[in-house]
Amino acid sequence: MDFVAVSLLNGISYGLLLFMVSAGLTLIFGMMGVLNFAHGSFYMLGAYFGYSLARYANFWLALAVAPLAVALIGAFIERFMLRRAHQHGHAHELLLTFGLLFVFEELVKLFYGFYPVEYRMPATLTFAAFTVSGIDYPFFRLFIAVVAVAMFVAIFLLLRFTRAGLIVRAAVHRPQMVGALGHNVPLVFLAVFALGAGMAGLAGTVAGAFYPTSPTMAQELGMIIFVVVVVGGLGSIEGALAASLLIGIFSSFAVGLDWTLADLGTPLGLDRWLSGLGGLLTVRLSTMASAVPFVLMLIVLLIRPAGLMGEKA
Amino acid sequence: MRVLASAALAAEFVCGTVTGVRADTLKVAVIENLSGAGSTTNREFALATRYWAEQVKARGGIKGGPIEYIEYDSQGSTATAAEKFRSAVADGAHIIIQGGSSGIAGQLTEDVRKHNLRNAAQPVLYINPGSEALELTGEKCHFYFFRFATNADMRVKGLVTAMKEGRDLGTKVFSINQNYSWGKDMQGAIDSYASLGGYTVVDRVLHDTNKIQDFGPYVARIKASGADTVITGNWASDLVLLMKEVATSGLKVKFGTMFLDLPGSLENAGQAALGYYTVESSNKEVGGDAMLALYADYKQRLGHDPSSSETRTIFALQTLEAALNTLDLSKKVDVAAIATALEKARVASPAGEISVRAEDHQAIVPVIISKVSLDAKYKREGLTIGFKPVRVIAGREAVNPVQSSCRMERPS
Repeated sequence: MDFVAVSLLNGISYGLLLFMVSAGLTLIFGMMGVLNFAHGSFYMLGAYFGYSLARYANFWLALAVAPLAVALIGAFIERFMLRRAHQHGHAHELLLTFGLLFVFEELVKLFYGFYPVEYRMPATLTFAAFTVSGIDYPFFRLFIAVVAVAMFVAIFLLLRFTRAGLIVRAAVHRPQMVGALGHNVPLVFLAVFALGAGMAGLAGTVAGAFYPTSPTMAQELGMIIFVVVVVGGLGSIEGALAASLLIGIFSSFAVGLDWTLADLGTPLGLDRWLSGLGGLLTVRLSTMASAVPFVLMLIVLLIRPAGLMGEKA
Repeated sequence: MRVLASAALAAEFVCGTVTGVRADTLKVAVIENLSGAGSTTNREFALATRYWAEQVKARGGIKGGPIEYIEYDSQGSTATAAEKFRSAVADGAHIIIQGGSSGIAGQLTEDVRKHNLRNAAQPVLYINPGSEALELTGEKCHFYFFRFATNADMRVKGLVTAMKEGRDLGTKVFSINQNYSWGKDMQGAIDSYASLGGYTVVDRVLHDTNKIQDFGPYVARIKASGADTVITGNWASDLVLLMKEVATSGLKVKFGTMFLDLPGSLENAGQAALGYYTVESSNKEVGGDAMLALYADYKQRLGHDPSSSETRTIFALQTLEAALNTLDLSKKVDVAAIATALEKARVASPAGEISVRAEDHQAIVPVIISKVSLDAKYKREGLTIGFKPVRVIAGREAVNPVQSSCRMERPS
């Protein structure tokens, strides 16, 4: 029972972190049709900026400034790179972001070295929120979750109830029409891209202090957020939230479950014979924990290609 | 760059001819994961090899003959490693160095074996200073593969002995390892030394290698198992994250690790790692002035203290150099002769004597068990803690028996 409670909490907090990063990715895709390969890099930059600022000032200042800095970089990329590539089609935009992923990684290695840096949580936040059967639940996990939820609420309200949000939603569906009505569509794109980058930066600033901040973090998280976005439905913020939580909780539980395919034979009394066959039948689910999101993606793509909450098929 | 390199080569060639020494350059190629996941720790094998090669060059080469160092990036994938091996062979490499993942080592050693079968006249030698999977000197062993690292059996045996002596070994052990050859070996070794250590293994986990971001669920499982000691062969982010998670969860367990001294690991764990054990083939405190001199020189050239991966690579290459010095390579580089000479080579490294066991080409190297402590003589750079050696086991005593699965065919 305790294992269930702890795993559920861990799964939710990890899921919410995934959401923070993938929200921007799905928003950018929904709006501009660009699958941004460099999105994980924004997460990494947020963590490194946070590390530098926390070192020379403090964590709270880092929390305020680092995401802004990342948003500015995002704005720069959209204005001076993506916009130029845009006229040559999506493939060029995709390749551009793919290249940026490597450029950012090398830049980070250049300035911060190859090894994980010592980005620690501030001492004021390093305490146990509560204890579940002898395991302290770190407050910082709750902190990550709270930041993520606050971000979701803010984005949701912004898109749903403000004039700016109305224009953004309209521009997703009919950019030409919105342009014809006199709105500055390129500016909307710029703002959305910067916002998406800033959100990933915020996630990095918060999570980098808890998980290691290293030059490979962009690639490590990059893959999983793609899965989140695909499972949730490209372009859907609510979908991204649902998919993040789903993947977070699934992978958290998978770790503790030693199920094998051979166990399926138990009701028929065939389990011993099946485990005797070995091979794939005896692979434990726990050893496959990190493949769980990909299996989930496969199933979603087969059953509901538009994703859980995607609109376009 | 290519032009420059060939110009340098040409210069060496000309000088070589003028002074009347060997014209055939000994080419040493590193094929290592320099940019993929875990590259932060794998890169060190390349750094240390380059350090050695530059020293050899500064001394005027091996017996006056030129030496060339070439570097290939495997990006942490077996497919790319195989491809880079073909490039290295095409570039004329005589000796391949790789010490990162055992998975890649398994691929490379097969590639080398097949290459040598097909090109018996121009074999390639493979020296591995870091991959520890047992199969490399077991079913996959062959004449041109040499392992200068320890292996899971050697490490776990030493760890369990030292932890028991230090009264830091509990009776319920949790085994958590990465799901590939090395992690499986570790799990096997933790099981097989249970009676030596007087413990029972309460639970075992194999997980994906350096891909997991969140170790929370694993710590929940450790807690659920009721273990008092965790033994792990995890390295790089898998070790850092696991230790961080254990620290933040307030779980009280003793820790036996294998790679805590790799850069970034202790730094990230901080004070939480006090009392944790690690097993290595060298420690700055063991080896006196020679070791301190090596540390000083390495730091001066590369800007950081060498980790045990780096010192191990240097000692392995010094053994190679000792072997090369017994040969006459004035006409051509004879790789088969180098391999034979390497079997007989003996080097007194600061940490202890190093030699190679001819039966399976497992190097006989000392095993040093250290404990993270506030009163270590040499603190970790920028930290108040360091590794205090608690036990040094000489190579002869530490080495595991030859595996019966190794059937080595020697060239006639």
